[in-house]
Amino acid sequence: MSAARAERGATFGRLPPHEQMVLHYQVEQFLYHEADLLDRRRYREWLELVAEDVHYWMPIRRTVTLREIDREFTRVGDMAYYDDNYSDLRLRVEKLYTGSSWSEDPPSRTRHFVTNVQVTDLEGDLVSVRSAIQLYRSRMEDVSESFCGRREDRLRRHGEGFRLVQRHIYLDHTVIHATNLSSLF
Amino acid sequence: MSAKRERPHGRREIGREEISGWFDGEKGLIDKNIYVDPDIYELELDRLFGRAWNFMCHETHIPAVGDYFITYIGEDQVIAVRDESGIVQVLLNTCTHRGNMLCRAEMGNAKSFHCTYHGWNFGLDGKLLAVPGGANFYRGKLDMEEWSLQKAAKVEHYKGFYFATLDPDAPSLHDYLGEVGRIGIDQMAVHGELVAVDGVQKNVIDCNWKIAVDNLYDWYHVNFSHRSAIRVGFVGSSVMQPMQQMVMLGEYGHAIGGPGISEEQQAELDKLGDEERARLDRMSFEERAKLAPRISERRPIRPKHMKEVMGPVGVRAMGHPNIFPNLWVSTRALQLSLRLPRGPLQTEVWWFTFLPKNYTAEQRRTAMKYMTHSFGPAGLLEQDDGENWTYSTKAALGRVARRRPQNLQMGLGEDEVREDPSGQMSIETRVNEHAQRWHYRCWSDWLRAESWDELKRSKSRVPTGRI
Repeated sequence: MSAARAERGATFGRLPPHEQMVLHYQVEQFLYHEADLLDRRRYREWLELVAEDVHYWMPIRRTVTLREIDREFTRVGDMAYYDDNYSDLRLRVEKLYTGSSWSEDPPSRTRHFVTNVQVTDLEGDLVSVRSAIQLYRSRMEDVSESFCGRREDRLRRHGEGFRLVQRHIYLDHTVIHATNLSSLF
Repeated sequence: MSAKRERPHGRREIGREEISGWFDGEKGLIDKNIYVDPDIYELELDRLFGRAWNFMCHETHIPAVGDYFITYIGEDQVIAVRDESGIVQVLLNTCTHRGNMLCRAEMGNAKSFHCTYHGWNFGLDGKLLAVPGGANFYRGKLDMEEWSLQKAAKVEHYKGFYFATLDPDAPSLHDYLGEVGRIGIDQMAVHGELVAVDGVQKNVIDCNWKIAVDNLYDWYHVNFSHRSAIRVGFVGSSVMQPMQQMVMLGEYGHAIGGPGISEEQQAELDKLGDEERARLDRMSFEERAKLAPRISERRPIRPKHMKEVMGPVGVRAMGHPNIFPNLWVSTRALQLSLRLPRGPLQTEVWWFTFLPKNYTAEQRRTAMKYMTHSFGPAGLLEQDDGENWTYSTKAALGRVARRRPQNLQMGLGEDEVREDPSGQMSIETRVNEHAQRWHYRCWSDWLRAESWDELKRSKSRVPTGRI
């Protein structure tokens, strides 16, 4: 087996090319759709795409030497920026509708750029997807911020579409040069 | 991300009289210029951060020989490192040759530090060990002793929390902290042996560091700034803004401000053994209110022996301590928030997190859940703070807005400082701004004094009587 096929997961790699393409297309459309919902501030609709057993997590990244590169990210259970289950995400979403969620009211103007999408594994009805993301955020008259990172998602087939079961966001920043992280990634 | 940084420039002479005019304690007024003036900021770096004991890290951040952690004293980057004899050294992270940043990873383990520019090599104790071409290019004439790294003047710890000062005339850490500063750190020691959780959250807010700091005493903003977190049920309103408030003021600017336990409530607690306290502490607020309505709802319930350690008044202080100038011992006392100055218009906020060594997996999960969701840039509480600080700072850039002072008048002249038979002093009242006023009054003392000797002589005494 080629290295590329091994990297993309044995099961996915064994699918005939046209089936790989269809799945890849469906996954991409799902990612674009949920990004679009977030950018159009349709947070409750976005939450409907999230599975109740979701793990939404953003570890802390550190500048470390290559020799100690395994310490670059904090691990699950240690400190993180986000470490959310479904009810935590629901709190975040409902908070946005209270009329007093000052960090997002007036709301930010966001643009999620999702790219470099790769299906990395297929296990039963679970699809693992790696993507690159740039989240641009403009606020008030003087705030212009941009976050870059890699997402390791897991999607579960749900009817014609998917539900988000895992979103692990590995930012490319160590110090967050932003007032807060009040956006969803 | 926008990494713009306003750099201070110029330097005008600032006299005592001008400094004395910035904060008017009798009227509760602050000159807004102190948040934006680059010359005042420079003075703070020299006379405050350059002189004070600054928090470095906890002993468990660097447990082994060679473990290091990069942090700051003001804008001076330092390496906190455990040397070969197990001693924590604090070294300026700048090569003595051309000034290059010496250690470029923010944490890790090293045998020694190599400068990436010309290869000068320094030991874990800061000694210059070797330079390439020492014999050939320098003809063996480079004074290795003289060109060793600059060290902090003093490094000491209190209960495992390491601090450093650049000023050799500083008093011992114990004396610097004084009773109130020590009680502040004791709030963490209440939990028993602590271990640092891996990961320091770091983000930069466009605000002056002093606004970020004085906000920790502010129990007035919570119900409004954090209304959305209350509305969705993340925290309860009575927990967020309890009417029963208590302030303790300490020399050099330390203070504790926020909720307190009354003497009557403490008398109820005193009847309980440690097992009963631990059991109540694990309950939800609702369960506890039903089962033990006379026990204060504040967490954590402190073990019996802490009354001896913290004193009869200190043990009742459940508010937020600030270890002057910029270290907040946060709610429930398992996190420390450091507010690092980054020019007059920016502050870098760091969150350190700790867990008691003896926590069960379940207790660990509960505590971590509360901490990851409350604070840090994505915290349901903290995400709504930053912009208030940003625009409070930026208002001072307006020429007309700047002329009108800020108002810190809440409770001014309305309360009494009570002295307990033990000698501990407290103000027990409703929501107030006593601790903020104390913070700025002491801050003025620091900037006026030209040396530690002068500061020791001229510092404000903890007030008694009407306040």
